[in-house]
Amino acid sequence: MPRRSASPLALFAAAASLVLITGCGGCGSSSSSAGGGSSQTLVYGRGGDADSLDPVKTSSGESVTVLTNVFDTLVTYDDTPGLSPQEKLEIVPALAESWRISEDGLVWTFKLREGVEFHDGTRFDADAAVFNLLRARDEGVSYAANFAAIESIEKAGDYEITLRLSKPSPILLNNLALFAASIGSPTAIKEDEDRFAQRPIGTGPFRFVSWQPKQKLTLASNENHWRGPPGVDRVIIVPVDQNAARIQMLERGEIHIADNLPPSALDELAKNPAIEILSDPGQNVGYLSINNEKAPLNDVEVRRAIWQAIDRQRLVDVVYAGHASPAYTLVPPTVSAHEPEIEARSKAERPFDPKAAREKMEAAAKAGGFTLPLRLRLFQMNQPRPYMQQPLETANFIRDALQPIGIEVEIVPIDLRQYWQRLQRGEHDLALAGWTSDNNDPENFLYNLLDYDHINDEGGNNLSRFRNEEMHNWLIAAQTEMDPAKREAYYRDAQRLVFDQAPLVPLVYTEVRTAQRKEVDGFDLHPTGLAKLRHARFATEAGAP
Amino acid sequence: MSFLLRRSLQAALTMLVAFLAVFVAIRTLPNNPVLARFGQHASPERVAREMADQGWDRPILEQVGAFLSGVFTEGDLGESFAVEPGRPIAQLLGERIPATIELALAASLIAAPLGIAAGIVAAVWKNGLPDIVVMIGSLLGVCVPVFFLGILLMSIFTSLPAGFRLPISMDYESATGFVLLEAPFRGEFVVFFAALKQILLPAVALSTIPAAIISRIARSGMIDVLSQDYVRTARAKGASRSRTVLAHAFPNAAIPVANIAGFQLGMLLSGAVLTETVFSWPGLGRLMVDGVQASDYSVVQAGAMAVAGTFVIVNFAVDAFAVWLDPRLRGSGS
Repeated sequence: MPRRSASPLALFAAAASLVLITGCGGCGSSSSSAGGGSSQTLVYGRGGDADSLDPVKTSSGESVTVLTNVFDTLVTYDDTPGLSPQEKLEIVPALAESWRISEDGLVWTFKLREGVEFHDGTRFDADAAVFNLLRARDEGVSYAANFAAIESIEKAGDYEITLRLSKPSPILLNNLALFAASIGSPTAIKEDEDRFAQRPIGTGPFRFVSWQPKQKLTLASNENHWRGPPGVDRVIIVPVDQNAARIQMLERGEIHIADNLPPSALDELAKNPAIEILSDPGQNVGYLSINNEKAPLNDVEVRRAIWQAIDRQRLVDVVYAGHASPAYTLVPPTVSAHEPEIEARSKAERPFDPKAAREKMEAAAKAGGFTLPLRLRLFQMNQPRPYMQQPLETANFIRDALQPIGIEVEIVPIDLRQYWQRLQRGEHDLALAGWTSDNNDPENFLYNLLDYDHINDEGGNNLSRFRNEEMHNWLIAAQTEMDPAKREAYYRDAQRLVFDQAPLVPLVYTEVRTAQRKEVDGFDLHPTGLAKLRHARFATEAGAP
Repeated sequence: MSFLLRRSLQAALTMLVAFLAVFVAIRTLPNNPVLARFGQHASPERVAREMADQGWDRPILEQVGAFLSGVFTEGDLGESFAVEPGRPIAQLLGERIPATIELALAASLIAAPLGIAAGIVAAVWKNGLPDIVVMIGSLLGVCVPVFFLGILLMSIFTSLPAGFRLPISMDYESATGFVLLEAPFRGEFVVFFAALKQILLPAVALSTIPAAIISRIARSGMIDVLSQDYVRTARAKGASRSRTVLAHAFPNAAIPVANIAGFQLGMLLSGAVLTETVFSWPGLGRLMVDGVQASDYSVVQAGAMAVAGTFVIVNFAVDAFAVWLDPRLRGSGS
């Protein structure tokens, strides 16, 4: 091999370019590239960037924040400012003005709004609605199952469509309000699907302007929106993945709203007179998944001992700074059919008591022929989730809680993008997990997270691999039960059974909190977790930073 | 000429082996890219269908063949699946590589002068206070992890936000992907200085290790040269001390320094993974990290090729330059 050597010329070249670059000092300042432009630019900072902006090709919350402002759906949740969280969960007309349901619940007819245009100037009509709904059902990867009950979707007039179902569906309306059922411009989608996924075209309150991935995404107000123009002219959405940086930028006024901050940071920010913290009871649950297929976790007494060893109130105080409430059942209090009786029963029959839990473990060990301490692996996601805002701290808390009852926990941190698939394959003994409601329905929690239909190595959400025939029958019956009271009864029974069998341990329902600068007015959190920016405006003439 | 030809063939072979290794390795990992992207919301049937659509359920050799034929017949590197879904890889690299090059150049422009100056000072005042300060500084420079230094810098200089190549409020459409290098030529000096401010912190963090290494090489080279007879002769003939050091001694000590500086630049150009991650800098290193975590096959393949390519090219350039500089290296082979 030749010996490497170089001439000092290289250094001179380097020095020369340094002079070239810095030599311009002071010669600038004449030309400028429109900073801010309009005075009504709202900057929204979040922890990550969107992936795909095609409603049927994403399940990323960061994408949904964009989609929910660019698109409309046929029906939607009420987002009128000032309503109570419960009132905001009412389904109201959007691109559909009204609908009627046949006697047997199998035929749904939607009358569509006339005079609505997509951002590319094409018309919204029955063809567009049919095209998009078929796409959501047939081409979706992540939410297609929500539309599986729809057998056919047909045009019944220029502004009327008919949906025929294979079986009655009490949650069809909720599913049609999902972002995955967003209505995009068929012209744009047919022309170039990949382009549409990067430059989405809908009918929503904001139209898409530009996106430099990992840098910024710009939206502009849709002056012709059927509900009237939004409160600001322009929205810039920026990914700032370090929490500390996001906080600093908010304090300096470079961003107006910052989401997904840790509880302690939010409490600190609350002291800043220029900043306020918005809070909303979320529709989520954080829980400890127990792998029911692995011995001795298949023993109900072991699972009940774990249930009893965890002091949820302390977890709320220590890890969530009080901004959560203890959970005893999977269905959050903000979702219908939440069974409050479970909390009382848990406190009476299985109160936090390490000594009693230890005794249960010892008895189980004797009967089951295993020795204490039991060594278990606890999987922990490396990135915070809304229901698990400090995963490492939560994992440590659980390790410390289980140690006195004879369980030695080894914490296994895993990147979020590989996390769920490893849990779905059942690699864990214990794991931190959680769920945020998709459609404000108890089915979404109970059937999805605990029915044996959802045990699958490649995409099943019953991470605890719990099997119960009786509960399965209730959950299946509830899917087609159109009488709300009877339907709720099934879900309440299921929650009692879950308490009894303890296939997992519900931990917390968290508050969803967002920090915003006080000059922003009108923006409030929606219980579904959607950031609807239509009502946001500036209180004074203050605008872009 | 035969030397260049031989090196070119070697370079091509290196690239091919690197490509095959990465292509096979990323596919043998147990991660399912569809699940990595859709997480909790993917239904099993749709996952299987998506895998089939992408051709990832076919034998690995068939996938290699399909990819290579795409590259050679249409110049198609595929598209990203998860990091930026649907975007052509060539376009992604076109955005990310300029960000990495600018960061690498900015770091080099800090590291080279700083390292050289520190090395000279240390050699001239050998064993004196300046030498001790430089040696401790360079030790720290090598030892302090970049991610720690990055976080430290960010918390001290809170008014210099990182992660964006330009301030949020600034609209600037770059034609080449380069912002810093392009703006002055377009007369956009406001953009240029804004971009310079944005790059400052990550560049400083990234420059510490190369600066430390360069200062050590420069110091030992200078100590060696300063003890030689011709330096004493120069002083005896009345040349000032600074003239002796800078004009007579330094050029001879500069060769190994330039060598190591070139090598460090190659390292920086291949993507500063840690720095880019800490500062959220949208460059090649961060793209690779995202690609690996999301099991985005096309991104990882292409990123690895870009890194391997950079190394091959830098090595090749250094070798070719050495041959040009030193005729004794020609002809005889190796």
